[in-house]
Amino acid sequence: MNRLTRRAFCRIAGAGLGALSTTPGLWADSSKITAREIMARMSRNVGVKPFWPTADTIKIGDPDETVTGVTTTFMSTLDLLQRSQKAGNNFVISHEPTFWSSSDVVADLRDDPLYKLKVDFCETNRMVVMRYHDTWHARRPDGIFAGFNRWAGWQEYLYHEPGMERGIFYKLPPTTAGEIARHLTAKLNQRSVRLVGDPQTPVSRVGFAGHYISECMTIAPKVDLVIAGESREWECAEYMRDAVALGEKKAFIQLAHEGMEEAGMDECANWLRGFVPEVPVQFIASGDPFWIPT
Amino acid sequence: MTVLDLLDQMQTHLGVPWQSQRAGGFSDGVLAGDPYAQVTGILTCFTPTVEILRHAISSGHNTVICRESPFYSRGEKQPVAYRSGAMPAKELLESDPVYQAKLALINTNSLIIVRFVDNWDARKTDGQLEGLAKAIKWDQYHLAVKGDKHFYRPGNNFFSIPPTPLGSLSRGMMESLNARTIRVMGDEHSVVRKAAILHGLILVPDLQAAFAETGVDLVIAGEPVEWEGAEYVQDMIAAKMAKGAIFLGSEVSEEPGSGEMATWLKTFVQLPVQWLPSGSPFTTIPQETK
Repeated sequence: MNRLTRRAFCRIAGAGLGALSTTPGLWADSSKITAREIMARMSRNVGVKPFWPTADTIKIGDPDETVTGVTTTFMSTLDLLQRSQKAGNNFVISHEPTFWSSSDVVADLRDDPLYKLKVDFCETNRMVVMRYHDTWHARRPDGIFAGFNRWAGWQEYLYHEPGMERGIFYKLPPTTAGEIARHLTAKLNQRSVRLVGDPQTPVSRVGFAGHYISECMTIAPKVDLVIAGESREWECAEYMRDAVALGEKKAFIQLAHEGMEEAGMDECANWLRGFVPEVPVQFIASGDPFWIPT
Repeated sequence: MTVLDLLDQMQTHLGVPWQSQRAGGFSDGVLAGDPYAQVTGILTCFTPTVEILRHAISSGHNTVICRESPFYSRGEKQPVAYRSGAMPAKELLESDPVYQAKLALINTNSLIIVRFVDNWDARKTDGQLEGLAKAIKWDQYHLAVKGDKHFYRPGNNFFSIPPTPLGSLSRGMMESLNARTIRVMGDEHSVVRKAAILHGLILVPDLQAAFAETGVDLVIAGEPVEWEGAEYVQDMIAAKMAKGAIFLGSEVSEEPGSGEMATWLKTFVQLPVQWLPSGSPFTTIPQETK
């Protein structure tokens, strides 16, 4: 599907298909459902007004393909696509890109043997891969952090920091930075959690810095522990190292991007099951891409 | 010798024309301090941490030459594709307690911070590559024409190593580099034979170029963008087109290059020059204590 039709398709999906799908006679075989119909139902149920531009489009495959099963995941890696296919799910809803860039632009990849192999796999197995990023984050509550809170068991510790409406803060029973690192390693199935500061640092207040230094600088003065998903190593980690060197009793945990966000796609699967009864909906973790030798 | 004299000397000895203009972000040159100050001594490092600055003060080296800035960004207003963060807004930065304390440390002690990246990397010898290759003792495995004057020229970064399982190779590298938290992709039992050494942040085109070389089954680098290069390597492994990648961390992968830089500076600077590694910001997570 070229870029223009994909774009046109998305506009239709956002605006009109919801109405179409309720038209009697159009969906004669009630056991069959297409990717297009699932996308339309997602659009109707998410409570977010459709917007453009968005990354949330089909990256490969035919939207009118009959769906055999749905996989939700953090990232549609080749390994994940293979496992989804084995599980019998040909529709993959992925939070992150398929073709290695936030825009999934493939123009420069035509001669790349890996690109050809990944496309071939999808086409041979009639896979449809859709990204679900911007809209799921825009949902209230943010679908990604709803999943994180549940997996981490931190829902009850959420609090609002005055003047920081968009921030995510927790007030935990007194613990240490090292304990939290171990807790998140276990609860989020991680292999690559990294720490800045003393593991014995007492921690009660925790805040999320997302990925960038400005977020880290904004929340660090309010908390004992900052958590970031992927962040460039010269940003949050160096800032927190200096904060500690200057005498602040703080610590920093850097998760893989996957570690911070994978749980949110388990949340997405739970949500989809509420309005996609025709086919199995399964969360399959793409998994922490890294491991740390010891 | 003033800081400007030093920069002048560096330009003279660079071997390629000085190019200081970047499309976005900081250029090479003085990031903090007085360019007319007399240089008392030079420290080279990856990034000027508070610890590095304290050492500079106590040891009487007032000039720090580094790759990253003192204030946690590369100065970009709109980084491409959100790979890194934008420079914090002026109000946010100037009201930040860490920024204030670090700036006071620099100003009170009349330190000078010099960025030297783009021009260092533009030389005919890739100092970062050379430093890292030597630090992991891979000089002997370098696939290049022996006797080539610019043995470690940019792109001349392939190494044929004795077949080694990825796990033991990684552990050996942690020891050589005194690094505690390197991140690895791939099966630890996979045997690797030929590697490309990259350093710092790597992008998909860097990986495509590395894996395009016949037989390369491993890439060594600093850090990947996880929705770009990391996924690319994951897919290369799943496709059985590669065995793995070792991500040393940006600091760990770049730091030996700062050692090369000190060696180079000593060939024309008649003042104390010392390489002082910043060290990785990360620590390991201790196991549960009973």
